[in-house]
Amino acid sequence: MISDSIANAPVPAAAPNPKDFAKKKRTNRSAKLKQCKLDARREQWLSQVKNKGSKDESNGFRDSSMHERDGSDRSLENLEMRQRGEENDGSIHHDSDLESPSNSPTSNASSVLGGNHSGTNYTGSSSSSSSSVGCCSGCITEEEEDDGCLDDWEAVADALAADDKQQNPSSDSSPDHEPVARSDSLPELTNRVDSVVQVSKPECAVMVPRAQVNGQAWRPDDAFRPQSLPNLSKQYSFPMNSDRHYGRGAVSWAHKSVISAPSSCPICYEDLDITDSSFLPCLCGFRLCLFCHKRILEDDGRCPGCRKPYDLEPVEGEASLNGGSLTFRLARSCSMITRS
Amino acid sequence: MVDFARVQKELQECNRDVEVSGIKVSPKADKLTHLIGTIPGPLGTPYEGGTFEIDIQLPDGYPFEPPRMQFSTKVWHPNISSQSGAICLDILKDQWSPALTLKTALLSVQALLSAPQPDDPQDAVVAQQYLREYQTFVSTARYWTEAFAKTSSLGVEEKVQKLVEMGFPEALVRSTLEVVGGDENLALEKLCTV
Repeated sequence: MISDSIANAPVPAAAPNPKDFAKKKRTNRSAKLKQCKLDARREQWLSQVKNKGSKDESNGFRDSSMHERDGSDRSLENLEMRQRGEENDGSIHHDSDLESPSNSPTSNASSVLGGNHSGTNYTGSSSSSSSSVGCCSGCITEEEEDDGCLDDWEAVADALAADDKQQNPSSDSSPDHEPVARSDSLPELTNRVDSVVQVSKPECAVMVPRAQVNGQAWRPDDAFRPQSLPNLSKQYSFPMNSDRHYGRGAVSWAHKSVISAPSSCPICYEDLDITDSSFLPCLCGFRLCLFCHKRILEDDGRCPGCRKPYDLEPVEGEASLNGGSLTFRLARSCSMITRS
Repeated sequence: MVDFARVQKELQECNRDVEVSGIKVSPKADKLTHLIGTIPGPLGTPYEGGTFEIDIQLPDGYPFEPPRMQFSTKVWHPNISSQSGAICLDILKDQWSPALTLKTALLSVQALLSAPQPDDPQDAVVAQQYLREYQTFVSTARYWTEAFAKTSSLGVEEKVQKLVEMGFPEALVRSTLEVVGGDENLALEKLCTV
C-alpha cells in the first residue's frame, strides 16, 4: 500500500505539466505511434474480451498506461532526445512484455541502465520504470494476460489521452489498490521493495533532469521556445551596462555626467578620488573636488559649471550652518529646562 | 596663493595646440603670476593679420578669482581702452568661473575683437565712432592693427631701425628691446617713460 501510494503520488503531481506538452506534441507522437496502433488495437480488443471479468486489471492497466503516458510525455520534454526516448520506452516495454513480472526488477534495472546510457533520457526511462512498476503491481495476479496487455499500453494511452479528465480520477480511485492488496506473493514483495526504490529513484531522476531541463536555456532558434520568455542576452546587456555606468544608480542626467566624468578636478587639476567622483554638488552635473567646492562656498558659492548659487542643495555649507544653529538652539532649550 | 600646479598645466595644455588655436601663453618672467598671452586677430575683422599681446596678472585667488588681463598691444576697439588696454569683458569680472582657463579667457577676448559691444563700452570715444562713423572706425582699427599689432613680425634690426628713426639712440633702443624681450611697443613705452 505504501509503495503503491508512493508510486501513485508522483503521477498527479507530474501530470499537469506534461499534459500540456502532450497536446502540443501529439501530432509528432501520433505519427510514430500510428504504426503500432492498428496491431495494438486488435490485440487490445482480444485481451479485453479475455479480461472482461477483471475490472481491476483494466484499471491497473489504466494506471500503468497513465504512468506510461506521463513517462513518454516527460520524455517529450527533452526535445532533442525525444525520438531516442520513445525508442527507449519501447524497448523497456518489450523487456517487461517478454519477461514475467517476477523479472520486472531486471526490467527496472534495464530501464535505469537505459536512463544511464543517455543522460538526457532520464525522464523518459525513469518514468517508464515507474510505469513498469505500476503494471507489475497491477498484473502479477494474472501473468498470462500481461503480455497482451502490456502491448496495448500505447493504444490505451491514446485512448486515455482522448479523455484525460475522465481518467485522472479513475486512476486515483480505489480499484488501483486492489491488485496490490491481492498480490502479496514474495516476488511481488521484492517487486514492491524494488518499486519503492525505483519510485524514489524516478522521483530523484525526474527532479534532476527537470532541473537540468530548466537549467538549460532555450535555444533562441528553438521553435518550441515560449514567447513569454524574456530574451536573456538583451536583458543581461542592459543592466550590466547601466551598472557599469551608474555606479550608484542615479538619474539620467547623473548617468550622463558619470559617463563624461572627469578623472581630475577641472578647477585644481588634481585627480579626483572616489569621494570626489561620487560628489555631485550641482544639478548641472559639474563635478569638482571637495576642496575646490569648499573654497567656492567660502567665496561666492556659485557652481563653476552653470554659475548658479550652490545653496539650492543641502550639502556641506548648509549642513554645517544648520548644525551650528541646531546646537545653539539645543543649548538654549537646555538652559531653559534647567531653569524651569 | 595662486594654484601654480594648475597654471603650469594650463600653460602646457594651451601651448600644446598653438598651431590650431593660435593662442599662446608664456610666462613673462620667472614668476608664474605674470604671463603674456598672444592671440591672432580674427579673420574678417579690422584686426586680421595682427598679433595681439595681452598682459596677464594672476591674483592670489586664481583660479577662484579672474585673471587680470589687459592688452599690451594697442587696439582700437569699443570695449578695449585705447589708452591702457583694459578689457571690458564680463567673464574677466563678475562672470568669471573657476572652470574657465587662461586659454578660454583669451578665446573670449578674441571673440570680443570680432564682436564689439558698443553699448557697454570701455572706450567711449571708440564706441562713439563705432556707432556714428563705422567706416572711420574700421579704417582706424585697421591702421592700429597695422601700426601696433604687426610689428612683432619684424626682425630685431627693423625694430631697432624703426625706434632709431623715432629719435632714440641706438644703444638705448637695443638695451631696452632686450629688457622687454624684443617687444617693440613695450620698448617704445619704456623709452618714452625714461
